[in-house]
Formats: sequence, structure tokens, C-alpha cells
Amino acid sequence: MKKTYYNSIDMDTFKQELKAEIIRVLNLDGMQPDDINDAEPLFGEGLGLDSIDALELIVLLEKNYGIKLEKPEDGKAVFQSVNVLADYITRNRKK
Amino acid sequence: MRLLQYIRVNSEGIWLNGRFSALPTGDWAEALYRQDGIQYPKFFKMDHLCRIGWMASELLLAGENDRFEPRTDRAVILFNRSGSLCNDTQYQTTIQDPDNYFPSPALFVYTLPNIVTGEIAIRNGYRGETSCYLLPDFDAGILVETSRQALQDPGTRSLLTGWVECAPGQSDDLLLCLVDAETEENWNEKNLLQLYRYGHL
Repeated sequence: MKKTYYNSIDMDTFKQELKAEIIRVLNLDGMQPDDINDAEPLFGEGLGLDSIDALELIVLLEKNYGIKLEKPEDGKAVFQSVNVLADYITRNRKK
Repeated sequence: MRLLQYIRVNSEGIWLNGRFSALPTGDWAEALYRQDGIQYPKFFKMDHLCRIGWMASELLLAGENDRFEPRTDRAVILFNRSGSLCNDTQYQTTIQDPDNYFPSPALFVYTLPNIVTGEIAIRNGYRGETSCYLLPDFDAGILVETSRQALQDPGTRSLLTGWVECAPGQSDDLLLCLVDAETEENWNEKNLLQLYRYGHL
């Protein structure tokens, strides 16, 4: 029970860091991590990101976490939301 | 041809239709974007060349009626010396180190100088000609001649044209003009050179 509690805290911290990094690499000026809802779609109606942003996120995954998306189309599932992305990184990160 | 409006920007300041204002400190384009309360998030994704050309066009076109109505009769024809060198240099840093080789897509898409013409056209709904030429230096004669040729196209009735130059370690250097096909002949090499040198006629 205690372990789950600490993991939950770690995950929340990680999501905040991840959102700050997304804001930085995508030049989302004036936006703060708390402005991004963890469950909100990153593309389309959510943050309104475009295909170039998707490529930047693929670079972010490889550069920061050593995760190489072999098929760019996999990004559609991975980049659904911050929740999904954070979970994917946690399970697949190599650094 | 008739010169309707103009904006000159260099290290000394900004002249908008001859009216001078000091250049904000730091990144002048970003400072003016914030000061004017413009809402166009894509601005922050642009490279420096696009930012300065785009922001100068915002100031130039601010008072135009029906500004954002889509139109096919206005061309955007720009010139510069250094192409997209500012952004190219930044992009180079992302591919320089074989052990840290992460080409940036967001920088890559701006490694062409003509993107600035597209950014201005998209913002304003222009669907006419857009083109960007590289010259060894500002050349009023070539600018005037190219714009005359552009207006020979019966579908083109006005032009946003001029010089948008930036290079690493150098001051930004811009002269943007709005010109139409009316017969008042104040669009000529002499006046253009005067604008470039002094910021006013």
C-alpha cells in the first residue's frame, strides 16, 4: 500500500516534468504544466498539435528516454494524452 | 505603380509610414507581438526570419479593411541576402554530433527562406503568388523591376514586397512595402532607396 502511494507520487511528479518538457520542445509559449489536462487529447481538439509537433515528440522520446518508435504511426496511440504517454515511457524507457 | 504603405526596421528603430519608434530591447518582434496582444500561437514556432517578416507585416497591414478575407489578387515577393542562415545554423547544431544526433523537425521545416512568404500569406488569407529571391545586397532597381513584372499578371493587383534580412550576429534589416497597380508613379528606385536609407520619403 505504501509502495503504491509513493509510486503514485512519483508518477505525478514525472507527468509534471513531462508536460514541462513538452511545453519546452514544442514552444507552447505562455503555457504552464498545469494548463495541460493529463487526460486531454494532445492532438486535434486538445492542445491542437500538428504533424511537426508529433515528429518533435518522437525525437523527445528517443533523446530523453532512449525510446525509438519504429513505426511513426504508433505515435497515434502513444500520444493520446499525457496519461498514456507517461505510462508508455515508464514501461519502455531505456534511460 | 503606387506605394501605399511601408515599414523600415533596422538597428536604429522602426519607421512605419515615416513615423519613428524606438526598437524594443531584446527580441523586437516578440516584444511587439506581446505588446500588441496578438493571438497567433504559431508565431512562437517560427524561426527568426519568419518572426521578423511576419511581425513587420502585422504592423504594416494592421489598419487594412477586410484584412483577413481570402484573396487571390495580392502577391508576396520578398528578397534577402542570407536566406534562412539563422535557422540553418541552429538546425546544424542538432546534427553536428554523431553521438547526439537528433535532427529537429521543427527547425528543419524552416530551413528555406521562402517560408516567411508562406507564413504571411497564411495569416492574411493570400492565395496569390509568393516568392523569395536571394540577392548579394539590397537592390532597389531589382525590387522595382520584379514588382513591375509581377503586376503584369492580370490576376495580381497588389504586392507585399521588400527586403527581410537576418544573419547570425547581425542586426535585422527590413523594408516592407505595400504596392498596388494604380498609376501614381511613386514606386520607383529613387524612392525605394530613400526609404531604405532614411526610413521615410
